[in-house]
Amino acid sequence: MLRLRQTGFSYLFLFPSFLLTAVLGLYPIGWAIWYMFFDYKGYGEASFVGLANFERLARDAQYWDSVVNTFVYAGGKLAITIPLSLALAVILNRAFRGRSLLRAVIFLPTIISSAVMAVVFYMLFNSYNGLLNQYLLKLNLIPERIDWLGPDHAMLTTILIAVWGAVGNYMLLFLAGLQNIPQDVYESASIDGANGRQQFWHLTVPMLGPVLQIVIMLAIINSLKGYESIMVLTDGGPIGKTEVMFLYVYKLFFPTPSASFTADQQFGYGSAVGFATAVIVGIVTLLYHLLSRRLNKLQ
Amino acid sequence: MTNSSAYAQSGQPFRLRLAGRWGGRLLIGLFLLVIAGLILFPLVVTGFGSLMTNAEITAGGKLIPAKWQFINYKEAWVQANFSRFLWNSLFLSAASTVGTLIVASMAAYVVERMTFPGKALFVGLQASTMFISIGAVVLRPQFQLMVKLHLHTTLWGVVLILISAHAYIFFILLSFLKGLSRELDEAARIDGCSNAGIYWRIILPLLRPALGVGALFTFCGAWNEYLRPLVFTLNNPELQTLTVGLSYLRYGPTAAVQTHYMFAGACLSILPLLLAYAVANRSFMQMTAGSLKG
Repeated sequence: MLRLRQTGFSYLFLFPSFLLTAVLGLYPIGWAIWYMFFDYKGYGEASFVGLANFERLARDAQYWDSVVNTFVYAGGKLAITIPLSLALAVILNRAFRGRSLLRAVIFLPTIISSAVMAVVFYMLFNSYNGLLNQYLLKLNLIPERIDWLGPDHAMLTTILIAVWGAVGNYMLLFLAGLQNIPQDVYESASIDGANGRQQFWHLTVPMLGPVLQIVIMLAIINSLKGYESIMVLTDGGPIGKTEVMFLYVYKLFFPTPSASFTADQQFGYGSAVGFATAVIVGIVTLLYHLLSRRLNKLQ
Repeated sequence: MTNSSAYAQSGQPFRLRLAGRWGGRLLIGLFLLVIAGLILFPLVVTGFGSLMTNAEITAGGKLIPAKWQFINYKEAWVQANFSRFLWNSLFLSAASTVGTLIVASMAAYVVERMTFPGKALFVGLQASTMFISIGAVVLRPQFQLMVKLHLHTTLWGVVLILISAHAYIFFILLSFLKGLSRELDEAARIDGCSNAGIYWRIILPLLRPALGVGALFTFCGAWNEYLRPLVFTLNNPELQTLTVGLSYLRYGPTAAVQTHYMFAGACLSILPLLLAYAVANRSFMQMTAGSLKG
């Protein structure tokens, strides 16, 4: 009897959470899995087409370009963010005056909207009246204006902006990991004559190992998934140079007139592309996971 | 830092050792200074830019305004409709914060303190929503649902969608609850308090620190939210939040002559968070670092 009342009460209290998760979290995923086998433009009838959407996907050069762009973007972002944030964490794990202020400053970008910052960075990097060029020209650091958001540099600029937003977050995750390493290990190492660099490679990195792996995994997923800031900054342009896969998916559902890439809304095909993209992210995550396990065994 | 102990080992003259140590420290200090500078630079430019005339920004090369144009804010407030945007952002953030905390704390309470069939399934469901992402695809069925419920002409549709993503807060509250002893619940139960009464009178007050951090996190997340408010206000500009209104200025035909408004708008969006961060930056950081362990 008591058990039954407890169960009833529990379901009552879980109901809001369950209802919202099921209707707004699960149902949309089911919707996408259903419509990815249909030709459905959002109006008129949806007609079943089997795997035609996936055949189209295989031939969609624009999509595969965006996949390549995503890997360049994610790779570039990680290659700068991870070493930089690890270095900052190691430095800021030592006790010195001003440490908490520096941590707070470096973490600051994490709390600011990436969409708002994309607007600000647009005003900084834009070549016509961008502020950065004017500062650099005035300080004689560059001979002429650089077209930061032009076809040659747009990807680099996008990556740098992503690093700006991410470094503080990963620094903090690394700091949390570093704080779990007991200090006396370092003390005995320096008594044994290990210098700073040796301590870093032979103590910090191995002891940080598990944290390092989880953080890198998080970083991979985040950088493959992110497109909000690119959407506001370049909208995938110019000429598709910064088009990333989830931005491409977005445009199939909500076509924007301003982009270099325009399409009609295509919910059926879009669902297929979204699904395929989620699978790509899953495969990359899995590969990384297997690789890091293999590395673990080698050690 | 890097080489100081090496010098100590190799037994070089004291002066050289000292030079090495100070050289290393200087280098690290310089490195930190450059990083902090690069991080603050865009924010400083935004702050000063919001107080310049548009001509002054376009002419460029200056950091500090010749004459502080506080009128920019007044004009952005009225002409660029930022008063409306700010109100919408506030409403969206406050409503989804309250909703998230209620929904997540109720679920966390019964999952941690009660036994019932299907508990593991529920927890698994919550966890899976945090990891599966198919991008913007979900926005379309969510939008169509809200059209059916006639919620697409208000911000309530977006509020519900933001509340539905409460898994993260749920797990935070759950792990906090695990650390709380059950003695108070038991005592209250013996005194004849009902399950709902225990939730309201015992659990919620005890959860207060975790609820505070969760509120901070949810509020900032909703405040910074871009895609959902964007998609839901495509046909309702009067519902736009600060983030959406600002990005519209950037793509608008008048972008070039409204740079100072864009800076002012960005400041309006950033400042409240900056103030909250200045007061409670430990709580912000706790949140991120905690997500790794829990």
